[in-house]
Amino acid sequence: MRREARGVVLIAALMAVLVIVGGSTDSVAHAATDWDNDTCLTCHNDPELSMQLESGEELELWIDASRWNDSIHAYWDMQCVQCHSSITATPHDPPSFSDSRGLATSASEECVLCHVDQREFQDSVHAEARNEGNDAAATCSDCHDPHYTADPPLTRDEIPNTCRTCHAEIYDEYEASAHGTALTEGNRDVPTCTDCHGVHDIEGPSNGTFHLFSPQLCAECHADEELMTKYGIRTDVFETYVADFHGRTITLFQEITPDQPTNAPVCVSCHGVHDIRHVDDSTSSVTKENLLSTCQQCHPDADTRFPDAWMSHYSASPQEWPLVFAVQTFYLVAIPIVIGGMLSYVAIDVFGRRRRKKEEEEEERRA
Amino acid sequence: MLETAPAVRPTRYERFTLSDRIEHWVQVVAFTGLAITGLVQFAADAAFPRSIISALGGINNTRFIHRSFGVVVLLAMAYHFGTAGYRFYVERIGHEIVPGRRDVRAAVHSALFSLGRRSDRPLEGKFTFSEKIEYWSIIWGTVLMAITGLMMWNPVATTKILPGQFIPAAKAAHGGEAILAVLAILIWHTYFIHIRHFNRSMFHGHLTENEMRRDHPAELSAIHGGGARREIAPEELRRRRSRFFAFYVVVVLVGAVSVIGFLTYEEIAIKTVPPDLQSEQVSAPSGPAEGVGSVDAAIRVVSP
Repeated sequence: MRREARGVVLIAALMAVLVIVGGSTDSVAHAATDWDNDTCLTCHNDPELSMQLESGEELELWIDASRWNDSIHAYWDMQCVQCHSSITATPHDPPSFSDSRGLATSASEECVLCHVDQREFQDSVHAEARNEGNDAAATCSDCHDPHYTADPPLTRDEIPNTCRTCHAEIYDEYEASAHGTALTEGNRDVPTCTDCHGVHDIEGPSNGTFHLFSPQLCAECHADEELMTKYGIRTDVFETYVADFHGRTITLFQEITPDQPTNAPVCVSCHGVHDIRHVDDSTSSVTKENLLSTCQQCHPDADTRFPDAWMSHYSASPQEWPLVFAVQTFYLVAIPIVIGGMLSYVAIDVFGRRRRKKEEEEEERRA
Repeated sequence: MLETAPAVRPTRYERFTLSDRIEHWVQVVAFTGLAITGLVQFAADAAFPRSIISALGGINNTRFIHRSFGVVVLLAMAYHFGTAGYRFYVERIGHEIVPGRRDVRAAVHSALFSLGRRSDRPLEGKFTFSEKIEYWSIIWGTVLMAITGLMMWNPVATTKILPGQFIPAAKAAHGGEAILAVLAILIWHTYFIHIRHFNRSMFHGHLTENEMRRDHPAELSAIHGGGARREIAPEELRRRRSRFFAFYVVVVLVGAVSVIGFLTYEEIAIKTVPPDLQSEQVSAPSGPAEGVGSVDAAIRVVSP
């Protein structure tokens, strides 16, 4: 059987690679069988095949061979028993887990044997929750169906929908946002969940560092001249933010005291997080009408005149902020004039003193 | 031969009282402290200022130190207006500090002398034109810095009175004036007080006869010309004193109450963004309908 022979070679190669890269020797055991996938499909090709777990959940046992054949694991000629390593005889015993969470947990233990570089998942909030005993938190197979995952594992459209499985409320906010609406309309430039939160190293938004450094996250796109030109969005929003009280404080905290909490706002503090609206949208938190209540989140006593203290990402110009422009211009002129005047006067005085000294010396010589 | 009584000429002329000198050195410390903690904020994009902010324990500490020195300046200002007012109104001295056309003439005269167009120096009185330039620059600068500084200290209270745009305008003025003040002190004060002649009167409080003759000839001749000031009748002095103190106490109290009220009446900003974590209902990716159910995740909420 050519296919089997190819499989054996591949498995042998895979074993060698795994041993070389320092993969667990456990993985070697996975290949210790000569079953091919057709053996498994003898039974699992049946769409009706299912079983009831102890929890009462119905577990579908059907493998759609045509979808499997399109998957990335089929492309690499993976064999069922490489992951389902506990199965050594047919017919085999029912699985040891009592509910679908148990299935997910045991599946993920298999994944990391090959996907060693995805062990960073262990740093994410999901892994943290699992380590704390919460097996409801997502693990590999919750986002990546091991049987049908293609390459790339999730397309940009699929990402929000995948997270939605658990984070439905946030998804609804995102879907209605400027970014979410654009994604639905087929725009591939807008950020999805993982662009901000990371993929396998999701930190969790309540982490102070994530909050503190989030402006750079927004700047990745919003300071990108090429990308923003496409949409007619100004790219100096980050610079003007940093030039003002809030951004200056945040950048100094980033550089000097990243571990300390600060009350200064970042982009999302005013623009919203998942529900960011276009600034022309009347429901945006930063329109002229809504800005005061946005300011009041941090400045509860702020009055109607207060929002104008923020220059709305604009630099001073005769049109935008005439008073600020006038003051800046005044000092731009006054400093060189005053300081230049003082220096000139001092220079004249120094010159006079030198000249008089020379004259005195000459007089002395003559005398 | 008729023996003339030797003229008792003092060898030292009092320039600054002890309290004047203490005030000056307090101002030096506060000015330097403000300049350092302020300019590092002005140029906070550069590496060196950042290292100073870091050494001071971060931006919040730097701002706290800056404002503390600012309070020192406010107090020194209140003190100065007190002593100046006392001298002006009660003692009727010190009027020489008021600038006039005579000072413009002295400045031009002195420059012409340096250029060799005039053979004599201007006859300066108690305060030379260069001293008056510095004195009034400091008065103007301090008042402007105090006002714009207080505006930024509590922008919420400021915008109860003024349009919002005054806050970034105050910031621009505070920064511009700071650069101007620091450069002016470095150039003008250093040259006229330290380089041209080292004037030590701010250490020991007096000038010598030679220094007087060189820098304040008109004052010297006034002293020797018997231009001693008229004695004020004791009752008149007492009356003026009580009137002045009553006025001063009221002004200082009103000023202090307004400044403290301005800074504290309105809440400037919440101290920290509250860890206002929304309990987002998160469902398990899979699992039995009951039992595992859902978990709460902490999500930072920004919208109200």
